[in-house]
Amino acid sequence: MQAKTTILSLPKEEFVHPGTRACTGCGLAIAYRVGLKALGKDTILVVPPSCLTVLQGLFPIASTKLPCLNVTFASTAAAATGILATLKTQGKDKIKVAAWAGDGGTSDIGLQALSGAAERGENFIYLCYDNEGYMNTGVQRSGTTPIGAITANTPFKGKLQQKKDVPAIMAAHNLSYVAACSAAYPLDLFDKIRKCVDMPGTKYIHIHIPCPPGWGYDPRYGIKIGRLAVETGYYDLYEIVNGEFKLTAASEKLLEKRKLVPVREYFRAQSRFKILTDAQISDIQNQIDAKWASYYKKNE
Amino acid sequence: MHIIENGNVAAALGVKLCRANVIAAYPITPQTPLTEKLSEYVESGEMKAEYIPVESEHSALAVCIAASSAGARSFTATSANGLLYMHEQVQWAAGARLPIVMCVVNRAVGAPWNVWNDQQDSISQRDTGWIQMYCSDHQQIIDSVIKAYWLAEKVSVPIMVCYDGYILSHTYMPFDVPDQEQVDAFLPPFKPDYALNTEEPANLNTVTLPDVRMDVKGELAHGYMEIRYLLHEEMRKTLTVALEAEKRFAEIFGRGGDPYIEPYLCDDADYIAVGLGSLTYQLRVCVDALRKEGLKVGIMGVRFYRPFPDVAIANALKGKKGVIVFEKALSYGYEGALVSDLKSALYEHLAGTGDLPMVQNFIAGIGGRDIRTEDLTQTLRAATKSRVAKEPVWIGLKL
Amino acid sequence: MCWLFCPEIVISRTIPPAINLEYCKGCGICAEECPTKAITMMDEAGFSDEDKNKE
Repeated sequence: MQAKTTILSLPKEEFVHPGTRACTGCGLAIAYRVGLKALGKDTILVVPPSCLTVLQGLFPIASTKLPCLNVTFASTAAAATGILATLKTQGKDKIKVAAWAGDGGTSDIGLQALSGAAERGENFIYLCYDNEGYMNTGVQRSGTTPIGAITANTPFKGKLQQKKDVPAIMAAHNLSYVAACSAAYPLDLFDKIRKCVDMPGTKYIHIHIPCPPGWGYDPRYGIKIGRLAVETGYYDLYEIVNGEFKLTAASEKLLEKRKLVPVREYFRAQSRFKILTDAQISDIQNQIDAKWASYYKKNE
Repeated sequence: MHIIENGNVAAALGVKLCRANVIAAYPITPQTPLTEKLSEYVESGEMKAEYIPVESEHSALAVCIAASSAGARSFTATSANGLLYMHEQVQWAAGARLPIVMCVVNRAVGAPWNVWNDQQDSISQRDTGWIQMYCSDHQQIIDSVIKAYWLAEKVSVPIMVCYDGYILSHTYMPFDVPDQEQVDAFLPPFKPDYALNTEEPANLNTVTLPDVRMDVKGELAHGYMEIRYLLHEEMRKTLTVALEAEKRFAEIFGRGGDPYIEPYLCDDADYIAVGLGSLTYQLRVCVDALRKEGLKVGIMGVRFYRPFPDVAIANALKGKKGVIVFEKALSYGYEGALVSDLKSALYEHLAGTGDLPMVQNFIAGIGGRDIRTEDLTQTLRAATKSRVAKEPVWIGLKL
Repeated sequence: MCWLFCPEIVISRTIPPAINLEYCKGCGICAEECPTKAITMMDEAGFSDEDKNKE
């Protein structure tokens, strides 16, 4: 079992230049920076249209120091497949391929290609940064937008449907590694990437990304809100290694602590949830409690 | 080596000889046997390539785009709705200036569903910035695939090699399969100016602005408009490079001629029938019959559709009395696509000279409707007598 | 913590940290996350000198 990375042991080398085009307080910027540290220099990136495309900047200047292929919205995983095939023909087995796509580009338009690549066992890491909406285009709802969230195209009633559970969908592909992470817990993200990078087939990592303009909070509270999502038991940090589920980091600690912060605190901290009624919040609290009851039971 | 095989196999052999090393495959009638054949070559070890059975045509071209960006010689094939599904990627490949070669086995597009031959699929991709070559027989199929890789990699523009579904893909014809040594002499390994790599990282196809912008060295880089202009300019230059390709091909393989048009009995003809693909060979039967009646008719097969060889076409049709364009596709709401381009070329080069021929347009074979040689002959005969109609006339329509 | 959580990578991994104000977007995460509250956010408008760090 490898030791957990700490702030002090995190590699110092940066793979992103300051001066990106991300919003102030962008959660993706934090996750991306640490993610690239975990991946390292010998990586080729694949990026569909998304906040990351914008973060990387405008031609002819790019903020990412690694080679990157920008591709069409639906084709991320297929493009990763193409690069892998070429690397194989060139005998360059040591070079990693990492796809970074948003939640829209993963759970909606990109799901087909991702599923295809996973089924074929394509050997790359797919990282979905989930800011729970099409944020780059102005905060429209996506498959992973949570129920009740106000977005630009669910302006008054909020999203009526549940958040799509993409890690569960990917786990159904019998992958060697599926994980859920958060920008608020970058060291956990770092360790998970490092852990799975040499495992066979497609590795799927889902990252929860607080987004100030999309979620409606003062940018300085980004990490706090990301933490609240986990501490309320609403969003869990876990990994599924060869089919075996395990909570990690702060979520794992909650198993012992047996005390969840009321989820109302998470919702009330973001203006996108302002139309959630007490009754709805109570419902969600019950669902969370039930989920954790089953976690506690399995842990006994 | 002379063999008898079907058009799909001819194409597959061409791809194998060209040593394509990344192949994306998705089934669609009538292209499927082509990529199936390639899987046989790969699995038997005859061909050293990564063969990826993707989950959609959009992904097929995505694989080729990424592979080509990383330095591989990539290939895929499709038809009809498969081509339409990958349209976004078709535009992308051209804008990204990638030398991908794709076979389009021409088939009618839905709705409604139809698996038989017409050319609406590739014709609808006319404006995307791909080079388009049309084949009339199996020899042209295998030769065009080989020429296409050389040309594409020379000018960094992707190429569609098109041939008629069923009529060519599934029929058997004798043709010559070149030796591997000959093809290796003609087509060197793919060496792009830049391929994605970790030593000199670059960010490909990122967001460009309407205007030009300074790079980190303080130099002005091209804006979107310049990048797109260069694609167009290179395509126009391709008309010259294609001549070079044809010459080199003839030197090594001993056959070749005009890369743009394939004339038949045109020199003394008063009327020229024009077509794309196998239809031009069917027309030879009609023309032979009409010649016996004393009518001086010839055929101009168009081999390069994009870039449009306007000068070659105008020169070939200059001074003729009439031009009769037969098409298996059209631009809905107006007329055939080929006839529009052709008229524009004639106008551009011959207006006011007195050498402008009258042009007529006939639409045939849509959705694989049988094109009866007798109907073609009758149409051609009537068209030499007078202008049949100002609008396109659909042959074989049964309203 | 500030070094780790800065989205713009403008904070040095030193004690005290130095902040590159050219690229800092003023999100305030560093100030919020500092366990000793060593950083205070200040409005750029009402400001002339560049030293934002307080020990």
